[in-house]
Amino acid sequence: MEQTAAPLLCGKGLNKTYKSNGRVVRPLQDVDFALYPGEVLGIVGESGSGKSTLFKVVCGMEKPDSGHLYYQGKEYTGDGPEKTGRFLQMIFQDAYGSFDPRMTMERSLREGSDANRDEIVRIIGEVGLDSELLGRRPRNLSGGQCQRMSIARALLSHATVLLCDEITSALDVTTQAQVVRLLNGLREIENVSILFVSHDLALVSMICDRVMVLKGGVVMESGPTDEVIHNPQNDYTRKLLNSVIAVEKM
Amino acid sequence: MKKRKKQLRNRMIIAAAFALLLVLIAILAPVIAPNDPYKTSAALIRKAPSAAYLFGTDNLGRCVLSRVLIGARTTIASTFFLVAISFAVGILIGMMCGYFGGIIDGLLMRLADLMLAFPQMVVAIAVAGILGGGLGGAMLALGITMWTSFARLARSHTLAIKNEPYIMAAKLQGKNSFQILFTHIFPNILEPVLVNALTQIGTTMIGISGLSFLGLGVVAPQAEWGSMISEARAYIQIAPWAVLFPAAATVLTITVFNYLGDAVMEYRDAD
Repeated sequence: MEQTAAPLLCGKGLNKTYKSNGRVVRPLQDVDFALYPGEVLGIVGESGSGKSTLFKVVCGMEKPDSGHLYYQGKEYTGDGPEKTGRFLQMIFQDAYGSFDPRMTMERSLREGSDANRDEIVRIIGEVGLDSELLGRRPRNLSGGQCQRMSIARALLSHATVLLCDEITSALDVTTQAQVVRLLNGLREIENVSILFVSHDLALVSMICDRVMVLKGGVVMESGPTDEVIHNPQNDYTRKLLNSVIAVEKM
Repeated sequence: MKKRKKQLRNRMIIAAAFALLLVLIAILAPVIAPNDPYKTSAALIRKAPSAAYLFGTDNLGRCVLSRVLIGARTTIASTFFLVAISFAVGILIGMMCGYFGGIIDGLLMRLADLMLAFPQMVVAIAVAGILGGGLGGAMLALGITMWTSFARLARSHTLAIKNEPYIMAAKLQGKNSFQILFTHIFPNILEPVLVNALTQIGTTMIGISGLSFLGLGVVAPQAEWGSMISEARAYIQIAPWAVLFPAAATVLTITVFNYLGDAVMEYRDAD
């Protein structure tokens, strides 16, 4: 992915501090990132590395202590999710939990969209689902179908940025591949950019154009996926990659 | 497991049928009451139960059966009204506290703690005494403490779901806090709070009848079970039926609604 264009979404000098049991935790420390139009940026790191906090800050669920966020060059730091939702949407790890258990899929999809039924049916078809599922509640869908519905919801709200938070970790291998193929297809058709958090480095290498490695809230390394995966410059990245290889050999 | 669930469902249906029957009796009381519940007669004072007066008559010659039936209206209607108002106030306060948190949450929950620190009936007697009696005063006296249980329950359920991904998704869909409270949180916490309301019916009925018995609730000659028992206890040895039947009606109704509350709760917990 060429990076000649200006970033669609970027964060500069993001810091976030919590107090947990009297202890100060710093899940984000001077984090910079840039997401370019049509790009998939992978964010990897172990549990507690700050990936989820970064997402919460980016989508406005939490305010950074310091630092700035920009969308299309305009600062949106401090905007809440009801504003950021106009240009970004989140696809959650818990696909079932991301839909109100009491609402039908159609009602959930209509929540943030003024799309008519034909438009909804078209998007549902685009993510590979049958419109018959619109009348069902989340518990009556499979995990993969629910995750596709989340993607459909994001597309219906005309988001140009998708924040994908471990979206395949709760799915079986076949469904994981289908969802990844879907995302790859959508980034071309709908021209969406994706921030893709995953533990699965193999998956990241398949879908992401660039990767950012986080540890303890600090960016350890970032760059094109092939370079980071095949020629890591940072010790932590090497350890992370070696641990994957070690697990695969077990 | 399915068999157990089916048993619990049947139990719930039976309890609901009895409760519905009692409500129907209360609604139809003016039609089915055999005599005028307020008509006094010097010739019929303290008549024992007979074919003409199935539950006998009281100290003023009034038909006890008719008064028990009309009393059901007063007792059940006031109970339902009080539970409904406490439920509405409590769930609204609980949702707001749980969702927004902060100073308002702290203040309201400490107020609830304060209310819960005193036995409900003691507070109710004190407040009803200050208000000077009457059904409205009794209901207000009970309602002052009653909203707290609904508020605490609603708050804890709101806290449990307010960080669910579907709430976060709704925020990103542009929903404001009040839209989220009423379209997502309220429907999802309604069931447990409603079950709690069912279990509160019996307690509230005891409260209203208890205050009326103490002369702090319904005032004579209006028929209400507590006040009927209070009026008739003075001559209990001569005309025990005048106490027995309103007392039996109170016990039966409270048992049915408590049983319904338990049955619904067990059925729900069996999931």
